[in-house]
Amino acid sequence: MRLTINGKEETVSDVVNISDLLKIRGIETPEMVSVELNSEILNRVDFETTQLKENDQIELLFFMGGGQTRG
Amino acid sequence: MKKPGFDTKAVHGDVLKEDIHKAIRYPIYAGVAFHFESAEDIEDAFAFRKPAHAYSRVTNPTVEAFERKMNGLEDGRAAVATASGMAAISNVFFNLLKQGENIVSANSLFGNTYSFFKKTLKNFGIETRFVDIDDLDQVREAINGKTRALFLETISNPKMNVPDITKIVEIAREKREARDHGIAVIVDGTVTTPYLFKGKEFGVDLVIHSSTKLISGGATSIGGVIVDLGNCEWSGFPSLEDYKKLGELSFLARLRKEVYRDLGACMAPQIAFLQSLGLETLSLRVEKACKNTLELAGYLARHDKVIRVNYPGLPDSPFHALAKKQFNNRFGGVLTFELPDKQTSFTFLNHLKIIRRASNLGDNTTLIIHPASTLFQEYTMEEKENMDVSEGLIRLSVGIEDVEDLMEDIEQALHKI
Repeated sequence: MRLTINGKEETVSDVVNISDLLKIRGIETPEMVSVELNSEILNRVDFETTQLKENDQIELLFFMGGGQTRG
Repeated sequence: MKKPGFDTKAVHGDVLKEDIHKAIRYPIYAGVAFHFESAEDIEDAFAFRKPAHAYSRVTNPTVEAFERKMNGLEDGRAAVATASGMAAISNVFFNLLKQGENIVSANSLFGNTYSFFKKTLKNFGIETRFVDIDDLDQVREAINGKTRALFLETISNPKMNVPDITKIVEIAREKREARDHGIAVIVDGTVTTPYLFKGKEFGVDLVIHSSTKLISGGATSIGGVIVDLGNCEWSGFPSLEDYKKLGELSFLARLRKEVYRDLGACMAPQIAFLQSLGLETLSLRVEKACKNTLELAGYLARHDKVIRVNYPGLPDSPFHALAKKQFNNRFGGVLTFELPDKQTSFTFLNHLKIIRRASNLGDNTTLIIHPASTLFQEYTMEEKENMDVSEGLIRLSVGIEDVEDLMEDIEQALHKI
């Protein structure tokens, strides 16, 4: 599936929802990530149930410093 | 597997990444800047699109390890470590209030916090309405459409009153619902620490600590912490308007991205290392200090030269039952007591041999101070009276020494008056 993540086009596999995406990107603090899907901010409780589809535009914003290198 | 307990969390923390050399104790990353593989990477880090440390004034791995440990102990949303307890307080109120808005605060406060509200914030057009926090009608009446925060200390310094935090939170929620605007309950938990008081369970929105005191390992270094406890959705706060779309992260986002970054009162990595180390023994030291304080309070209360002892651990304290419920059946390591006047107090202080005359609390060493002539020196007699700071009042911060030695020291000094 092709997605645009933080302005860059990427092809990802084995990803169904937002939680899957955070997992495969190695994001260790999902509770501290703000996720915007096609210009709409998502509620954290919807990460598991929000299905991704071809050409979705995703913005991930991190506010609590670092710790990760694979994000 | 069940959730780890307080001490396990205090020792192990919640480290994101193991040290590259697998050091057991998380190392001090003393540098300022961090390398990026590409210009695009550093652009993303600055735009908060990539979770990476860029500059130690904003985030740093060692400081982050301490923040994660503190947040774990509070069971919060996230923590931000600052250069001091006062830096934590100033960051919170600059983040949350705009000109023309107000804070409703307990009138019995640490002297520098009182000064920050009364003088510094006032010059920025932010009013503080001081109330007797035990008078709930007074608290209700002081709140208006411009109130954004209710502020109090878990045990007031130096009155040693214990506010009913459940009821204060209820008032904030009532007002929040009725007026459809944000009011946060902000608690200074310095003297109780998360070991005695879990703000999250009481519905508190933000807890602030001067980690200089008990958390640092017994006054090893100056520091502060702000913890967003995850109880507030942060809607209805005009100061957070630009961050509104981030919802529940808006308080932390503005703080980290703007106010904390711009004020520059960050915690240094060397300090974060000391404070992380301090957290590991927090419960052991707090237990001993609470036990010592309870014994000394009983002894002083029976002493014929002492007029009055303020300590919620004493069974006849009006705050005893509430403190017992709120603070996990412990009552803290600070007490105040009264001698007849200033001269008697000075004579007593000058004859102590083990107990040290110093302006601090939460140290391993027992410390003593005469608040009226020091911490509250700059205030008028009327202000001092309102805060119950009499000329004979003495504050004792009890350490972890052998209590018999402390008692003997006090006894011989009381004999001199």
